[in-house]
Amino acid sequence: MNSIVEIRQMSKCFGPTVALDSVDISARPGEILGLIGENGSGKSTATSIYAGMQLCDSGEMFFKGKPWKPSSMNDALLHGVGMIVQENGTVPGISVAENIFLGETKSFMKGPFVDRRRMCSEAQDALDRIGADHIRAEAVTASLDFQDRKLIEIARVMAKDPDVLVVDETTTALSQKGREIIYRIMEQMKQTGKTVIFISHDLDEIMEKCDRLTVLRDGKIIRTFEAEEFEENAVKAAMIGRELQGSYYRDDYDGSVPDEVVLRAEHLNLGNELVDLSLELHRGEIVGIGGLSHCGMHTLGKVLFGNITPASGSVEAEGKPVRNEAEAMKLNIGYVAKDRDTESLCLEASIRDNIAIAGLDRIAVNKHFILPANEKKYVQKQVDSLSIKCRDAEQYVSTLSGGNKQKVAFGKWIGRDSQILILDCPTRGVDIGVKQSMYQLMNQMKREGKSIVLISEEMAELIGMSDRILVMKDGSVKKELHRSSTLCEADVIEYMI
Amino acid sequence: MVKLKKNGRITSSALFSAAPILGLILLAAVFLLIAQIKDVNISYSLKNILNQSIITMVVATGAIYIYTLGAFDISLGASMCVSVLVGAMAYNRTGSLIVMLAVCVGCAVCISLISSVLASVFNLPVFVTTIAMLSLLNALVLVLIKVNGTGDVIQVPADAVRDINTPWFKLLVLILFTALCVLTFNYMKLGRQEKFLGGNPLCAELTGLSAKKLSIIGFAMAGLGVGLGAFLTITYAPTLSRNTAASVGMDVIIAIVFGGMPISGGARSKIWSAIIGSLSMTLLSQIMLMLNMNSGVSQMVKAVIFIAVVYVSMLSSKKNILPR
Repeated sequence: MNSIVEIRQMSKCFGPTVALDSVDISARPGEILGLIGENGSGKSTATSIYAGMQLCDSGEMFFKGKPWKPSSMNDALLHGVGMIVQENGTVPGISVAENIFLGETKSFMKGPFVDRRRMCSEAQDALDRIGADHIRAEAVTASLDFQDRKLIEIARVMAKDPDVLVVDETTTALSQKGREIIYRIMEQMKQTGKTVIFISHDLDEIMEKCDRLTVLRDGKIIRTFEAEEFEENAVKAAMIGRELQGSYYRDDYDGSVPDEVVLRAEHLNLGNELVDLSLELHRGEIVGIGGLSHCGMHTLGKVLFGNITPASGSVEAEGKPVRNEAEAMKLNIGYVAKDRDTESLCLEASIRDNIAIAGLDRIAVNKHFILPANEKKYVQKQVDSLSIKCRDAEQYVSTLSGGNKQKVAFGKWIGRDSQILILDCPTRGVDIGVKQSMYQLMNQMKREGKSIVLISEEMAELIGMSDRILVMKDGSVKKELHRSSTLCEADVIEYMI
Repeated sequence: MVKLKKNGRITSSALFSAAPILGLILLAAVFLLIAQIKDVNISYSLKNILNQSIITMVVATGAIYIYTLGAFDISLGASMCVSVLVGAMAYNRTGSLIVMLAVCVGCAVCISLISSVLASVFNLPVFVTTIAMLSLLNALVLVLIKVNGTGDVIQVPADAVRDINTPWFKLLVLILFTALCVLTFNYMKLGRQEKFLGGNPLCAELTGLSAKKLSIIGFAMAGLGVGLGAFLTITYAPTLSRNTAASVGMDVIIAIVFGGMPISGGARSKIWSAIIGSLSMTLLSQIMLMLNMNSGVSQMVKAVIFIAVVYVSMLSSKKNILPR
């Protein structure tokens, strides 16, 4: 069958970094092609070039057999190639409708004015069509959460009825409902003879949804698997170039923890997001918080860190109140946010700036002075221990791959020796190699007597890592599940829905 | 220090980083060439350049603290004018240069603090309060001149400031203030936190940084620069009117951008941008003067270069972003 998407000998460098090295990728009509590889392997670079986000250094591209060189993402979308990107792809200060029809205001002109009523009506249709009817087209985008903003992007792309859809590591940003929406769209496209290029680090998901799987490593194509060749270990080995050594999740089923409570939240209330919620975190304990995306668990993370003040109730660590971020940090609490690029990192700053900022009180001489040598040593220790792939600590975080960015976000808090870590979706958008190292790190921290609140939308991660799982629904804890070898995803899901 | 080479090769990002200093060297070369051709007295011209640029340098160096936050103070010129007038009045009352210095600095710092504290109290963007302050300060200038002036001016006796109206004294003030700023900006927690806050306020908040506190301190540092600039202005031109320091606000913005400071602030902010930019801007003005361009044309040239520099710097930062 002829390919609808064809990339031949594509190469791309970012300074001295070779992102793509003579890559060939092809996708057929009526197919879901999976692209998989470690962070920084070149998946997003190749697809972003095809979708018009940037130019390649060399190579050729074809779409429906004709040479393909889109001038922008909008140009590509108008001609049939749409892409949903991993991080935020919406403009916060404008309405949902304006985001859906970004760059197309001209088509809504009524004389010298924009016909906003028609724009909103068509935007609402686009949202309804993908099943995101709970989002109002008139709403300001900034008022929506990460998942809903992602759904706006999906609606924007699908409003153009593209022949090729690139889904770049989007599903980890979505709850079950959001995932179902995107899976349904992918299936519909496949059934109507269209093509989906699906990038994901979730091996189970990608093997279940895709017809073929192309593996990239260090900017090169390693192998393409046909559906009948899918085998987890073979794909993993192709991805990372070696067998994964050691355990992935924790291999013990001992959920017992010391009695000492290090963090206590009592009767937290905040609108519908938190309803009379109480929890205790013990020394050396990993408490998993699970639930659907809007169950209030992400808000809970921010309340525990003092970033959001609850309407009533209190948070205490070591017997002292946590009322703001500075107090939380004084009590050795760290927080890794779900929205990594916006909340956890300053992208246009170096690795050094990002890691050192949380630990300035540890580095400073006489409380105020920063000696470059001390700072360098402090940062380099994190770069080495977390194996952050970078030229040096002066490299800007914006130039790192997703997994390495996440390691920097971890390094911020590990560097200052946080005794309590609140991790909101810590492995979102990272490959299995990085995931494994993060799980091992969490396990090591637990053994060192540090405590972790693990907020996650991935059931397997919660079950695999937590001593206890608190399942949240509508702002309150519906069920507390204890670590056990017999605990399965169905047990958690039963209380989530 | 800008490293141009990486693995033996000159990189484009290194070139972008070095562009302000290369621009300054180029302007200096053009200045010397034209001075030779036109037979201009170079030492006199250099003294002129120093006199013109040093006040901008001092104010711009302090203002880096505001621009690092991604904020903007439109009232810097008016604040300096009020500080100059109040400082002159203090000298005329006491006859003490030290009192004049203290009043100039105190007045400028107070004005800056009012802007930033008002912004904090009412949760407004700082530039909004500086717009209100601009209006208020302009009115205050008129009142001060009317109540305390002779005609349209307030004067300090030229003899009183003659001894300190020397290049060496001005250089000393600049060096001491720059050293203080470099120390606090590059080698203290304060500077690191200011840069991080400017780079991503939300992430800074989630890292325990207080935006209000840092903003107030940043504005206080800028006020200190304005106060010192006001003091130097009195020593340079002791006859003071409502037009004194009128162009300082705009000169500072242009100088900072010329010096390679990103207009959005953040981690790429550098104290040296103020020094390099102020010198470049004054050299450019001097070159245009030597080429007999009138002030209207030279303002237009500056505006065009300003837009070009901002455009190129934004282009450079976009190019450096790897998708993931």
